[in-house]
Amino acid sequence: MSTSTATALPVAPGPAASEVIPGHVVAVRDGLPGFEHCRRFVIIASSDLEPLVQLQGLDGSRPSFLALDPRQVRPDYDTRLTLADRMRLEAGDTDVLLWLALVRLEGGRLLVNLRAPVVINPRRMLGLQVVAADSPYDTAYALPVD
Amino acid sequence: MLVFTRKRNEAIVIGNGIEVRVLRVGKDGVRLGIVAPPDIAVHRREIYDAVCAANQSAAATDAAGASELAARLRLRLPDTPVAPATTGA
Repeated sequence: MSTSTATALPVAPGPAASEVIPGHVVAVRDGLPGFEHCRRFVIIASSDLEPLVQLQGLDGSRPSFLALDPRQVRPDYDTRLTLADRMRLEAGDTDVLLWLALVRLEGGRLLVNLRAPVVINPRRMLGLQVVAADSPYDTAYALPVD
Repeated sequence: MLVFTRKRNEAIVIGNGIEVRVLRVGKDGVRLGIVAPPDIAVHRREIYDAVCAANQSAAATDAAGASELAARLRLRLPDTPVAPATTGA
């Protein structure tokens, strides 16, 4: 369909997947802001969810997020990372990374957090929510849905 | 809360290897320089709080209606293939 991002990573077979395959678990060392105790996630992809995927936490309150590649929203989205973030992801120059902007519904509006994307290095199965010191993007970019 | 008085170019050290130095004191603010190991993330409080709030709201967004939402999105988003992203330089 419109994106190949979900296939860049081994994903759980469907929304009902309850069994966690160890190689499919993404380790997020510091968790996500607000969910610091959740350090492990799986990505659930299915054709009826496209262009969204589900980022399912496995620890604590097991938070679940809907997300999409920010370049689906902004084709010119800047995917450069700082050296420190690349080190956290153990990413080399040639690693192809998975970028996921978290999506939310607020007051009937569909908002995307372009400011702080979750970036995953599939080769190392490491993830990180990137909060850059300076960014031109908004935490509440409104998507057209109607 | 620990409170220190620091002048320009003076610093404090937190734990092993985190240094916060006062670079400039101005009328509207204080410019700080922070040296920290690469595995320590440093954020402006208000940005971190905004990301926290967005994450909380995202986790509260019901995934049950996600298929319908996705269908609406497919109609609206440009169907352009996304090129793989390397880490960039």
